[in-house]
Amino acid sequence: MPKKNLNKLREKIPLLEDIGKDGRVWSDLCKQYGVENPDPPWRITLESTCEVLNEGACALPVLERRDEEDKLSEEIYKDVPYPERQLLALAHSMIKKGFFREEELGVQMEKVYKRLSAGT
Amino acid sequence: MSKSDKHDHNAAPMVDEISDFEVLEVAVRELCIEKGLFTQEDHNEWTEYMHTLGPLPAGRLVAKAWLDPEYKQLCIDDPVKASLEVGIDWINSMPSKFGTPSDYCNPRILVDTPTLKHVVVCTLCSCYPRPILGQSPEWYRTPNYRRRMVRWPRQVLSEFGLQLPEDVEIRVADSNQKTRYVVMPIRPDGTEGWTEDQLTEIVTRDCLIGVALPRADRKADDKRPIHKAVHPYGH
Repeated sequence: MPKKNLNKLREKIPLLEDIGKDGRVWSDLCKQYGVENPDPPWRITLESTCEVLNEGACALPVLERRDEEDKLSEEIYKDVPYPERQLLALAHSMIKKGFFREEELGVQMEKVYKRLSAGT
Repeated sequence: MSKSDKHDHNAAPMVDEISDFEVLEVAVRELCIEKGLFTQEDHNEWTEYMHTLGPLPAGRLVAKAWLDPEYKQLCIDDPVKASLEVGIDWINSMPSKFGTPSDYCNPRILVDTPTLKHVVVCTLCSCYPRPILGQSPEWYRTPNYRRRMVRWPRQVLSEFGLQLPEDVEIRVADSNQKTRYVVMPIRPDGTEGWTEDQLTEIVTRDCLIGVALPRADRKADDKRPIHKAVHPYGH
């Protein structure tokens, strides 16, 4: 990866950093709720997103994504367990490549949260 | 609701909380769809396909090969054809339906012998024979496994609890986007007269990656053993 691109990738994204620091990871939720499933329910849909971005859209080829995930996992999201850090790295790569902006993601997350928590 | 309509069983516990990560996954996916990178239909097709994957077909392939020398030879000569017999179509079952030049279409079965042990890695990323083996375990994706396995395989295998005699050569197969490897270990002692179903049960995922050996007393779905501490702390 050219140094310029690598430096850009390494720039932190506050929204994702906060999720990495404060978000509750699956292993903690399992412990609290007595759940034994080793994978969060979103693991397969995340894998599918990665696949369609590679196979269908060719927007984010698998080698590029995994290379960036490795770098981000070692540097920015090193304290976040897998598969949470895979998700953070994907969102990070997508923002750095300009597919969507951090602000857009924040707005979308608010919409999704309201929708998922409706009726609670 | 009458009493008989009620569920009289205890539902399995579930996480009753919406995490930031759950929300993030949905938000990323929906933004991708909104930006036209893929459609919901494309995504659904992949998700349904992903849910069908697991290590069972590869375990069955090995079990069949242990029982049938002709099938074993087919596994070596034409793994795509051999996979069809355990229900896996490497070429046509992928949702992309790219045909032969596509990703994943060059599987290879690595046959262990008493003096040769194979183990699989992907030094570049985490290429894995998912159509026949399911999702890769977390450790397979870690840089330290990928970096060290190709340099010091004997040491790394011993970290998995697999101590191999010095006269057993270890061959590390490095996967890539086209070529995916599955290890066919040696059939263990104590399995004489076993059926294909019985043999399939002992060929675990780790045996198929090459970091473990099948044992007659260890099934893939066994509960993890819990051993009492010999010298428990504080007692």
